[in-house]
Amino acid sequence: MADDLWRQWQAFAAVWAPGAPGVPGRPPGDGGFGFAPFIDAGERFKAAAQSLLDGAAGGPAAATQAAQNFSDFLRDEFAGARPPWNAGFGPGIGAGAPDSSWSEWPALGPMREHQLRWQRMSEAARRIDDAQRRLQRLWSDALRQAAADFAARLQPPPSGAADAEALRKLYDTWIDCAEDAYARIAHSEAFCNAQADLVNAGSQWRQELQAGIEHWAKLLDLPTRSEINTLALRLKSIEEQLRAATAAARTATPAAPAAAPAARAAARAAASGPKARPKPRVAPRKQSPARRRNARRKAKR
Amino acid sequence: MSDAGPSAAAAASRGATGCSQKELVWQSGKLRLYRYRPIARPAGGAPLLIVYALVNRPYMMDLQEDRSLIRGLLAAGLDVYLIDWGYPDGADRFTTLADYIEDYLAGCVERILLTHRLDALNLLGVCQGGVFSLCYAGLHPRRVRNLITMVTPVDFHTPADLLSKWVSKIDVAAWVGEGNVSGDALNQLFLSLMPFRLTQQKYVDLLAGIPDRALVENFVRVEQWIFDSPDQAGAAFREFVLWFYQENRLMRDRLEIAGRKVRLRDLHLPVLNLIGKRDHLVPPAASSALQGLVGDADYTALEFDLGHIGMYISARAQREVPAAIAGWLATR
Repeated sequence: MADDLWRQWQAFAAVWAPGAPGVPGRPPGDGGFGFAPFIDAGERFKAAAQSLLDGAAGGPAAATQAAQNFSDFLRDEFAGARPPWNAGFGPGIGAGAPDSSWSEWPALGPMREHQLRWQRMSEAARRIDDAQRRLQRLWSDALRQAAADFAARLQPPPSGAADAEALRKLYDTWIDCAEDAYARIAHSEAFCNAQADLVNAGSQWRQELQAGIEHWAKLLDLPTRSEINTLALRLKSIEEQLRAATAAARTATPAAPAAAPAARAAARAAASGPKARPKPRVAPRKQSPARRRNARRKAKR
Repeated sequence: MSDAGPSAAAAASRGATGCSQKELVWQSGKLRLYRYRPIARPAGGAPLLIVYALVNRPYMMDLQEDRSLIRGLLAAGLDVYLIDWGYPDGADRFTTLADYIEDYLAGCVERILLTHRLDALNLLGVCQGGVFSLCYAGLHPRRVRNLITMVTPVDFHTPADLLSKWVSKIDVAAWVGEGNVSGDALNQLFLSLMPFRLTQQKYVDLLAGIPDRALVENFVRVEQWIFDSPDQAGAAFREFVLWFYQENRLMRDRLEIAGRKVRLRDLHLPVLNLIGKRDHLVPPAASSALQGLVGDADYTALEFDLGHIGMYISARAQREVPAAIAGWLATR
């Protein structure tokens, strides 16, 4: 497998550096394995770049058309390369929501609470879908703008062979254009609103889903996250009280090693950790602020 | 061509956790405090405690021998400590900023001061760790002799701050809920800041070049670091986004930690602020705002023509950043 990967890597390098010594051909039958998708993308890019360079030699009209074609090719290639807009909730965000027709029914009877929860989930899923569509549209806008900027930068179109240097220059120029166009969109209010709507709707969807799961867990007498959270909070509170009591006891001792404001940390520093060592009996030397300032001035001199 | 590609990548993936020798000197919960073994004649002065961010692992400070800020500081004779916050899990979801700053960070400081029988040390805060360091120094100015902040946001509402714009209308309490925030979700967010460069171009750069073992190993170590992202303790994350990104409390002089006000204007200690001019995560203006906040402190700002990650691991950073820190400390 490592050998195959290595050959694929070399094949990818060969796309970008044709004619480099010691570069073998593509390994046969690599399908979608390893770097194969990168090689495929690289070969498509190289072929499109070659068309651009060939077109540049065919007169002004052909050159402009070639630049436009290349820009369109890049726009299509990167259309699917968008960030995964799921607000960190995973690819299943919005899934599992009941049919939206539920939202039309009046919430009455013993299933009322469940129905209201399903309606809220359904509404959240609708808002998620809406926000994702808006983000996708803005991504398309960014790519369209990037393609236009790229085509403008190709005037006059370059000509010559599709050697390694020419390919890299074209690729890097495209990335610059794409990143600039995306940045303009990403800073816009429309994008920020769509991001916020996605996260907020995703939060509500998850909250309703958790509530439903907890309900079923209780019916089966399984522990729920809420119960564990309650216990965790109680434990934290007890730990804090213990540390505060330890700190208070230490500050009440004449040879307390820590100053009062740092007592909380000193209690932790002294009390916890398996690397516990004998407590130093010597208190840290304290200086007044004025004395410290003087010492610093002296040191500067 | 030698077999420098996949085998070098596999080898590098196995052991990127820091290259300099260090010993564990204290631990509390998942936190570990390390002290690095000296490699040069001691320069004297107080020990230096490095406070890294919660969002990535601190071994980026010591990635490999020729890419190590810590190694540069040790070579300058500094006595270096580092906080490793660990990987929070579900049991840490209620850990707050007050816990991180007033218990964990302050606990490390107390432990070091007890060991050295000093009343103050030097603090180097990196990125979010710089914010924590500012908060700690504001709460305990007598415990900090010199404060160094590196790629540290102070004003979270500068025009170039894309993260801040994105989170401005998010209901962060609902987003976090009562759980932690996954490191994968944060990675997704960070990649979305520059998707073409971070998910496409950098791999083409690697794969299209002639494979070189050192280059591949370096790339894979950085890659491991980028995606070795701990989950974030929910309560602390919620407070950080709300108080800093949304409400900009540090800048507005309205920040309280554990019920005590963080007063940067009362700081009178020497401050060195290290800024990346091409930082896309912490725009330079977000860092340089510190100057207007620290009162009549002895303030120095140094700008480097580097990005956020370049400030830790670029060849230029290795030459310039440790020397700048050591040189500045030597004169104070």
